Amino acid sequence: MRMLDYAMSFFGGIILFYMLFVIISYFMMFITAMFDVRKRYRLDHSEYDDAHIDAFYSKPVSLLVPAYNEEVGVVDTVYSLLNLRYPQTEIIIINDGSTDSTLQTIIDHFEMKPVKKMIREHIPTKQVIQVYESAIYSNCILIDKVNGGKADALNVGINMSKYPYFCSIDGDSILDEKSLLRVMKPIILSDGEVVAAGGNIRIANGAKMQLGSVYETRLPENYLVIMQVVEYFRAFLMGRIALSKFNLVLIISGAFSVFSKKWAVEAGGYSANLIGEDMELVVHIHRLIKEKKEKKRIEFVPDPVCWTEAPQTAKVLRNQRRRWHQGLIESLWKHKKMTLNPRYGAIGLISFPYFWLVECLGPIIELGGYVYIVAAFFMGSIYYEIAIALVLLFIIYGMIFSVASVLFEAWSMNTYPKKRELLHILVLSLTEMFWYRPLTLLWRCEGLFRFVIGKSEWGNMKRVGIAEKGKSA
Amino acid sequence: MIHLSVSFLAIVIVALLAILGLFTVYLFIQREREASFNKNRKSYLQRSTQLWNVYLFEEGLFSVRLVPRSRADVEAIEIIFLSYLKNIASPAIRLEIKNFSNRYLKEFYKKDLASKRWSTRMNALYRIADFGMDELLDTCRSIEHKKISKEERFQLLKIYSLFQPDLFTEKLKQLQDGYSESEYRRLLVLLDDDLFIRFFDAFQDWSLNIQFALIDTAAVRRNAPYVDKLKHLLSHNNAEIRIRALKGIYEIGIIDEIEIYLPFVSSDVWEERLMAAKIFKHAPLANMYTYLEQLLQDENWWVRSQAAETIAEARQGGERLQQFIQYADDEYAVDMAKETLMRKQESR
Repeated sequence: MRMLDYAMSFFGGIILFYMLFVIISYFMMFITAMFDVRKRYRLDHSEYDDAHIDAFYSKPVSLLVPAYNEEVGVVDTVYSLLNLRYPQTEIIIINDGSTDSTLQTIIDHFEMKPVKKMIREHIPTKQVIQVYESAIYSNCILIDKVNGGKADALNVGINMSKYPYFCSIDGDSILDEKSLLRVMKPIILSDGEVVAAGGNIRIANGAKMQLGSVYETRLPENYLVIMQVVEYFRAFLMGRIALSKFNLVLIISGAFSVFSKKWAVEAGGYSANLIGEDMELVVHIHRLIKEKKEKKRIEFVPDPVCWTEAPQTAKVLRNQRRRWHQGLIESLWKHKKMTLNPRYGAIGLISFPYFWLVECLGPIIELGGYVYIVAAFFMGSIYYEIAIALVLLFIIYGMIFSVASVLFEAWSMNTYPKKRELLHILVLSLTEMFWYRPLTLLWRCEGLFRFVIGKSEWGNMKRVGIAEKGKSA
Repeated sequence: MIHLSVSFLAIVIVALLAILGLFTVYLFIQREREASFNKNRKSYLQRSTQLWNVYLFEEGLFSVRLVPRSRADVEAIEIIFLSYLKNIASPAIRLEIKNFSNRYLKEFYKKDLASKRWSTRMNALYRIADFGMDELLDTCRSIEHKKISKEERFQLLKIYSLFQPDLFTEKLKQLQDGYSESEYRRLLVLLDDDLFIRFFDAFQDWSLNIQFALIDTAAVRRNAPYVDKLKHLLSHNNAEIRIRALKGIYEIGIIDEIEIYLPFVSSDVWEERLMAAKIFKHAPLANMYTYLEQLLQDENWWVRSQAAETIAEARQGGERLQQFIQYADDEYAVDMAKETLMRKQESR
C-alpha cells in the first residue's frame, strides 16, 4: 500500500509540475501573440498588397498541388490558385497514381494536352508517366506519376518547377486571393533571409464558396468541427506566433507554405519515407541553416488564409490525429541529435525540448492526469487534494485558454462576426476539457504507440469536398 | 501547501472567468459600436458618391454636404478617393483630391498621427501619401523625432520623396541599411528622371541594397540614357552587380555594341553566361551563332536552355538547331535542342 502511496504522490507531483509548466509557457506565448496580432488590427493591408501585385516588387512562385484521389476537391483548389492575386505563378498539379478519376477530371476540366518535357532530377523520385499542359491556362501543368506518396509527389513538383520559390497546397484546400501575396511578404521584405513561410489555416466546413473563392464564413454545425476551429485558434495564438517571433517554429502547415527551392533541394526535398513530411522539411532546413551558420529564418504568417476541410467524423479525425502525432515524433526522432545541442542554437536548446516535452510526451502526461483524477476518486480522500488541484489546472489549461483564444480571435481578427456564432463557439469551448480533449489525447497516444511499434499507413481522409460537395467538379 | 494552492487556484480561475466574462460583454458592446459606425459610413457613401461624381467629373458645384463631419465620413471619403486614384489617374482629379484633403481631412489625420495605436498612425501616413497632403509635411517631420517603427519611417521616406525630394535624398543617406531591395525600389520608382540620374551618378556611395534597387529600377524605366550607366557597371568587381546590369540592358533592349558582351560567354559565373545568351536575342543569329552554339553545350542546364531558346526564336533558328542535332555529339545539348524544337513546333 505504501508503494502505491509513493507512486501516487510521485505521479501526481510530475503531472502537477508539467501542467504548471505548460500553463506558464502557453500564457507567455498568448501574451506575445496578443500584442503582435492586435497591433495589426485595422491596419490597411491594401497599401502593401497593391504595391506588391506588380512583378517588379515580388518573386515568382511555383504552386504545387499533390493530388491522390482528390476528384471531388482538386478542381476547386486549382480555381482558387487561378484566382490568386499574384503577379507570376505556375501551377503544377501532380497526380500521384490516383485510383479514382482525379486524372481524367483535371484533363477534362482544364483541357490538358500531353507534352514532352525534360525534368531535371534535383531530387530522386518515382517515375513520371506523362506531363500535360493546359490549353486554356498557359501556366498550368499536370504531371501524372506512379504512386509514391505525397512527399514523392511534391518532390516531382519541385523538380519540375522553374521558379525560385514553391508553395505546397493540399488538393483539398482553398486559398484566399491575397494569401500568397501575404505569405511571401516576409520573404520579399527580408531579401530572402526568410527561407520558408507558412500561412494561417482556417476551417472551411460551413463556409460558402464558389469557383475557388470564399464569399461568406459561417460557423459549421458539427460539434467536432467547431472544436477543431477552437483548436486552430489555440494553436495559432498559443504557439506559432510566439515561436515564429523568435525563429523557433518547427511546424508550418503542409496545407499552405512557401519554401525557397534552393534550401528545400539542399535538404533533399520532402522525406518520402516519413509521415510528417512537411514538418521534417522545416526541421531539416533549420538544421542546415545552423550547420552552415547562415542567418536565415523560417516564419509563420498570421494573416494569410488557407481554407481546409476538417474531418467531420470521429473516425476520420482519429486517423488524422494519429498520423499527425506519429509524423511529429518521426521528425523529432530523425533529427534527435539536435536536442539540447548548443550547435543548433535556440532550435536545439528551446524548440526541441519544448516539442519533445509538450507536443510529443504531453498527451501521455495529460492523459495520465485524467486517469489520476479518476483513480483518486476511487482510492479515497488522501488524494483528493492533488486531484482537485489537477482538475483546476485542467480548467485553466483547457477551458480558460480556449475561451480566451476564441475571444481574442474575435477581438483581433473577427472570423465569425455574428454574435450568435460567437456565443455558440464560446459555450462549446467551455466543454472542451470534458470530451474533445481526452479523445484527442487518446488518439495522439495511439500515434505515439504506432511510432514505437514502427507501424505506418497512408490514412487518407475521406473528403466530401468543401464547396458544397465540389460543385465545380 | 496543496490545500493553499487549491484555494489559490480556485481564486485564480474565478478571477480569470470574471475577466473573460467582462471581456465578452465589452466585445459585444464594441461590435454594436462598429455596426453603427459602418452604418454611418454607408450612409455617407449613399448620399455623397453621386455628388462627388458630379463635382469631380462634370465640374459641378462643391456641396457642403461633402465635408466630413465624423470619422465615419472620413472613412467613406477614403473609399471614394482611393477608388478614383486607383482607376482614374487624371492630374486634375489628383489636384482636387489633394486640395480637399489638405483643407478638410488635415485635422483628422493630424490627430491620427498622434495616436498611440500603431495601425492608426500607419493608416494616416498611407493616406497622406495617397492624397498628396503636403500641408502635413511639417507634422510628419515632427513625428520623426519620436520613437517610431521601421514601417513608419519607410512611409515617411515615401512622403518626403513625393513632397521634398532633397530632404528624401538626405534622409536616405542616413538610412542606407535596414530596408529590403523591394522597399528601396518602391521609393526609387517614384523619383523623377533628374533626381534618379543624380542617384545613379553617386552609385558607389549607396549601400548594396540601394545599388541593386537602382539597377533594377533603371531597367523598368526603360529609358535609353540608362543603358550607358548600366554598361559602366559591366566591369564592376561585384558579380551580382554585373549580372543585374546585364539583365537591365536586356530588359531595356537597346544593344548597340555587341562586342562588350562577348567576354561573358566564357565567364566563370553561369548567370553571366545565361544573360549573354539572352542578350544575343537582340542581335542577328548569323553573327551570334558560334557563341550560342558554345553556350548550348554549356555545363549549366539553364544556360543550355536559354541558348537553345535564343536560337529557336530567331529566323532560321529551327534549321540551325536541326543541323546541330545531326552533327553534335554532346548528348545533353542535343536533348535540349530537341526539346526546344519540339516546343516550338507545338506552339505553332
